[in-house]
Amino acid sequence: MNLDEAIRLRDPSRLPSRRDEDWRWTDLRGLLRTIPEPSRPLAAGTAGLGPFDGLTEETLIVANGSGPEEIRIAGGETRTLALRHISRGDGAHSARLRIDVGPSARLTLLESHEGGGAGLSLLGVDLHLGADAACERLVLADMDAEAVAVVELDANLAAGARFSQTLLTAGARRQRFETRVRHPGQGAEVRLDGLYVLRDRRHADLTSKVSHEGPGGRTDQLARGVADDQARAVFQGRITVQEGADGTDARMAHNALILSDRAEVDARPELEIYADDVACAHGATVGALDDEVLFYMRQRGLPEREARSLLVASFLGEVIDRIESPAAAERMRSWLQARIGAEG
Amino acid sequence: MVAVKDTVDQVAGLEKYEHGFVTEIEQEFAPKGLNRDTVAFISAKKEEPEWMLAWRLEAFERWSAMESPDWARVSFPPIDYQDATYYAAPKTKVGPASLDEVDPELLRTYEKLGIPLREQEVLAGVTGAPRYAVDAVFDSVSVVTTFKKELAEAGVIFCSMSEAVREHPELVRKYLGTVVPVSDNYFACLNSAVFSDGSFVYVPPGVRCPMELSTYFRINAAGSGQFERTLIIADKGAYVSYLEGCTAPMRDENQLHAAVVELVALDDAEIKYSTVQNWYPGDPETGKGGIYNFVTKRADCRGDRSRVSWTQVETGSAITWKYPSCILRGRESVGEFYSIAITNGRQQADTGTKMIHLGEGTRSRIISKGISAGRSSNTYRGLVSAHPKARGARNFTQCDSLLIGKTCSAHTVPYIEARNGACTFEHEATTTRLSEDQLFYARQRGLSEEEAVQLLVNGFVRDVLQELPMEFAVEAQKLVAISLEGSVG
Repeated sequence: MNLDEAIRLRDPSRLPSRRDEDWRWTDLRGLLRTIPEPSRPLAAGTAGLGPFDGLTEETLIVANGSGPEEIRIAGGETRTLALRHISRGDGAHSARLRIDVGPSARLTLLESHEGGGAGLSLLGVDLHLGADAACERLVLADMDAEAVAVVELDANLAAGARFSQTLLTAGARRQRFETRVRHPGQGAEVRLDGLYVLRDRRHADLTSKVSHEGPGGRTDQLARGVADDQARAVFQGRITVQEGADGTDARMAHNALILSDRAEVDARPELEIYADDVACAHGATVGALDDEVLFYMRQRGLPEREARSLLVASFLGEVIDRIESPAAAERMRSWLQARIGAEG
Repeated sequence: MVAVKDTVDQVAGLEKYEHGFVTEIEQEFAPKGLNRDTVAFISAKKEEPEWMLAWRLEAFERWSAMESPDWARVSFPPIDYQDATYYAAPKTKVGPASLDEVDPELLRTYEKLGIPLREQEVLAGVTGAPRYAVDAVFDSVSVVTTFKKELAEAGVIFCSMSEAVREHPELVRKYLGTVVPVSDNYFACLNSAVFSDGSFVYVPPGVRCPMELSTYFRINAAGSGQFERTLIIADKGAYVSYLEGCTAPMRDENQLHAAVVELVALDDAEIKYSTVQNWYPGDPETGKGGIYNFVTKRADCRGDRSRVSWTQVETGSAITWKYPSCILRGRESVGEFYSIAITNGRQQADTGTKMIHLGEGTRSRIISKGISAGRSSNTYRGLVSAHPKARGARNFTQCDSLLIGKTCSAHTVPYIEARNGACTFEHEATTTRLSEDQLFYARQRGLSEEEAVQLLVNGFVRDVLQELPMEFAVEAQKLVAISLEGSVG
């Protein structure tokens, strides 16, 4: 099973399938009989405006699989970068990008995934954070309903580094965000948040694997989402505490609302602990909107539709509240608002 | 501080694995190896009808084409299925009419294990003391079943599986393999081919079984495995509480225990199934020997408002691999799972449950307490799923793990699948070590370190112990103490 090879060699038998335990709810082999033709190159000039336009001067574009392969942020620098991953047409493509953030540097990465057509795409990002460096990665995924896409991030943190992430997605035909973090402990901190708003037959999979490899690390994770119509949401989170990673404090929460009888939410919050002096916890809930609360709001004169979207907005809003960059948080909040407004 | 005193007393009475003796008794074995002839041999020994043999042979064919699963978080060398005996029985008459015909050596064995086989002994206790009927399974056969007469008066059938196949074929044919299909999984399929004895219980409509039923499994023979099969049916409105205990001698080799337990609850019926599992866990230092406990237990809440509750205390076995599950088919049926799993030494446990919500308004509850010490590995693995028709399904899951020492590990792997808009699932899990503050407090009060650990551990598992029938709760509490011996310091 290797998605990158499957795309390059056009070999569907290498696609991950439900037989791979980590892909049981996001089956690609069962979905795609063949791998589409390689995507045609796309002129960057045709990209139009991105969702984070105006927040930074620096925009990098990965268009149909081609774009920069390496970015370096020098030690001590503070930068805001927009990274636009644009896919057009029905082809298949994959790209890999390495980002180095030097010691004590700060990077705000505003990442957007746009288009997708009916193709298949893979974007892999290798992120290296030097000692005491900080990176906040904010992701907005607005893909076509027919797109099949996987976005992977491997984050390697040095001691004292901070990595925070908030993912917002509206899903696609099949879509997965996989975040893998090597956590050295030693004062390093990780926040991994995610949010999905899914309608129609869309699918979104938020998967994360955090491996605590040294003592005294912190991880805090909050994922929330709503699934309506025939949508399907998948949350898989694994926190591993390796031998010797004592003093680890790791918390994970996933809360989902199912708004329709034909929607589905699958979750697997995992803890894998090989050290004894740890405090680890996870919580997962799945349920419908509280009828009594809805009734109360309607009694006060709110139309049902408005009451519902208010409840959903406050439920999801907590994830946005944890974003550190205020300007980007506003963009993400209005994106979410537009999505929920379209809920009814 | 009664609890403290109890704990102190227990720690004082700690022993190593106390059931590790071997009974010297003449036994009859099937020839070593596994093929169609072995299956036919077992069937013939049990004087089974033609249909039962055909069922076994079909299972054997299917098993031969299957591969051993490897997804659990346990590791063991490949099992050589040809290097074991699949049938071992004491040479004396099987199914004696009265206890006087039972080999005295066997009786002494059960006496040593503290299992009352003489009805008068059970009665000899304090007036009003709870009584329970016992089906004693020694290697591949049931040695004796007590209180059969009194149970029969209430209409309850309680006998060994072999006897049920002969005496109640209509019931066996109707229900056997309907909860755990023959080829459900590798070990269940093996069991279907070579199963030896186990208990059969049928409680007729509206009957509340007048006493606790229990089975005591003992592996004695070397080089053999135990493949018991248990089937419990609670007809409409019936109630039964069933207990299962197990032990084995200390040996350097690994022995396989691959059981299948099927429960069927019809409308308004309730089954309470409790297990105190204390198979020989292997040598704590070298990890040599011990039982491989690969068991398939499943309940089918077929009827509306039916209820099944699994309670398990897992302290023994080198490797435990079991997931007592509930299929909640009937409207408003209820499934419960209460578990304490303790691993020490080099034990490995991968255990949990599945709650499959199919019917409307079904409810389930999972309380799992895992404790790992020594160099052991302890995994909770569970599934809670609601199908589109299971509107109003509810689940609450709590999984707590406690780590004692730096070389053990604890894992939590819950799967949650919600497929309709009207279900409510809540899951929470924590992993911690014993609190230093609490230990310090207990030691300040004059408890030794080991006693303090016992006290805290007992507090940790209390929620589950409370679900056990009284006499077994005491037994289980003692077991918890013994299992954790040597885990501190």
